[in-house]
Amino acid sequence: MYLSKIALRNLFRRSGRTLIIAGVLAFAIFFAIILETFMAGMMEMSFSNIIDFDSAHLQIARPELFADNEDPLDHLFTPTEEVLTEIEKLPGFVATTPVLDFSANMLAGREEYPVRVRAAAPASFKEVFRYQDYLIEGDFLQAGDSGLVIGMNLAEILDLQVGDFYTLLFREEGGSLNTIQGEILGIAATPEPGMNLGTVIIDQSFAASALGVSSSEINQLKVKMTDRHSAVARSESLEKQLTGSLAKDFQVNSWRDVSDMLVAMEVWGQLETYFIVALILLVGAIGIINVVVLSSLERVEEIGMMKAMGLSEKQIVKIFSIEASGLGVIGGLIGAGLGAVGTYLLVNIGFDLQLLYGDITLELGIPILGTIYGVWKPQSFIIFFTLAVTVALISSLIPSYWAARKDPVDAIYHR
Amino acid sequence: MLVVSLNSEKKINQKLENSVLVSLDSVKKTYEDGKISVRALRGIDLKIAEGEFTTVYGPSGSGKTTLLNLIGALDKPSEGQVKINGSIINELDRNGLALLRRDNIGFVFQSYNLIPVLTAYENVEFALKISSSNNGNPVRNSKERSAQILEQVGLGDMLDRRPNELSGGQKQRVAIARALVKEPRLVLADEPTANLDSKTSKEVLEIMLEMNSKLKTTFIFSTHDPMVMEYAGRLLEIRDGKITREERR
Repeated sequence: MYLSKIALRNLFRRSGRTLIIAGVLAFAIFFAIILETFMAGMMEMSFSNIIDFDSAHLQIARPELFADNEDPLDHLFTPTEEVLTEIEKLPGFVATTPVLDFSANMLAGREEYPVRVRAAAPASFKEVFRYQDYLIEGDFLQAGDSGLVIGMNLAEILDLQVGDFYTLLFREEGGSLNTIQGEILGIAATPEPGMNLGTVIIDQSFAASALGVSSSEINQLKVKMTDRHSAVARSESLEKQLTGSLAKDFQVNSWRDVSDMLVAMEVWGQLETYFIVALILLVGAIGIINVVVLSSLERVEEIGMMKAMGLSEKQIVKIFSIEASGLGVIGGLIGAGLGAVGTYLLVNIGFDLQLLYGDITLELGIPILGTIYGVWKPQSFIIFFTLAVTVALISSLIPSYWAARKDPVDAIYHR
Repeated sequence: MLVVSLNSEKKINQKLENSVLVSLDSVKKTYEDGKISVRALRGIDLKIAEGEFTTVYGPSGSGKTTLLNLIGALDKPSEGQVKINGSIINELDRNGLALLRRDNIGFVFQSYNLIPVLTAYENVEFALKISSSNNGNPVRNSKERSAQILEQVGLGDMLDRRPNELSGGQKQRVAIARALVKEPRLVLADEPTANLDSKTSKEVLEIMLEMNSKLKTTFIFSTHDPMVMEYAGRLLEIRDGKITREERR
């Protein structure tokens, strides 16, 4: 009781010094929480964008398509009723849509740009993806249309507007070159920058006839589920079901399988956060060692008197350790408080990367455009607060023992 | 007649032997300061009985403080043996010495050495709490006892003052109260009046004398101050690390 009382009062004996060290710890905690919130928000939005605009929750295709994406037209299949029924039986199933992806060069005037053409069945495509919600000009496809919906960046590069004519130059299944021509029906500005530049949407039946394949032939089935986390587990069970009981040669990938780079980025992002936090905490730890050494030098006669009174070395270590932990608690609380304010702002107002860095997200391959919103991560508050207190406590131990082992005579007479 | 005298001296010595609290036997203390050896004590033989009010005096550097540090179990001798309340301090480790000090000895220093973040009352109660926290036996009525002893040293109305709000004399009274509150068998006071004016010194000494007679606490002082010597029941002069004169009053 008295040891804690002495320790806590000593904490405020040099309030300026206490505040500086607590401030360093607070900054570390604040920075860590904000970075975690920001990274989590960025990942959340990235995964959502990939799911909503590109991969859906599940994608079913021939295994060769995932292994060799060079020529998707080599890996076509026709989804049978029993396959579709099996998919619909999945718990959490919402909708499915067929997709026929192939590569082409888009020509407009003298400009040419390589694109991925996504041939889609407009009605079911709308049930799985949100592309159509982000049209800034024109309309989305109708079944049988020969038109094309493109992204705003591609429209800018090729100087295209709704109503302009386009030409798609592609290689047929047999290898000969062919073209598709038509009108630009709509321009979309999605939050997924990749879709605004490198992908164009065309009606599946129109594309099939141009490609010379059957209208039922596709190379992927995209499936929307109610929950993205359970979708990862469902992908395995569905693949077992399709390849096992139905004896079909299919591979089922979840959104996570096609987000390798993002998953790696998430891991690296976390490592980077922990590295930066460790560096700042190291500065805090040095500060705490400094505080304990300075305090013990200032209070050397006091330590001597306590030892004369019969206080054990362990009890003296306890006083300094409580004091240092107090520093950790103050720093941790200030940091967590500031972190809560920062997180609230990030969650509600967000952070516009483009304001600072322009279109850097496109270059970095982050599938987010515009404002990034944070995500509340209560566990990071607990983890980083505990980390601050633990670092403070551990870094105080050696100088505390050094102080506690002082010879009582030397300490009392300040030799 | 001679036989009777010898017998009574024997009885006195026997009685003294039984009540000896501190005993030093051929004690030497040498400090190593780099290549130089400083012989602070050069062979001290001394017995102090319970309830004695002893003053050690002598010039600066004569070895007074070193002697008190050994008697206070703050230090160990280089040679010889120091026994306090039956415990030979040469044989104790740091924790053993700490326990011996905690259970038997109270200290009063020239520079008071109060804990600045605690009030006068808390400084005194802390001494009691250390004992209870270490041996697991809670001290009864610690609050009353602490307040009472501060009342006895004339600080009943200053319980909540911190050391920086007290005068030198008041601080020394708190230090005395702190030393006495756990009712130790021995109180060591190293030049307790050195920083005090003569009036305050007198008051402080009166308090200690009163405690000596009331509680039968053994007091050992080191001092330069002739006034302190006037109060002593036993005077020990120390010069160049040896006791050169002894006087009982």
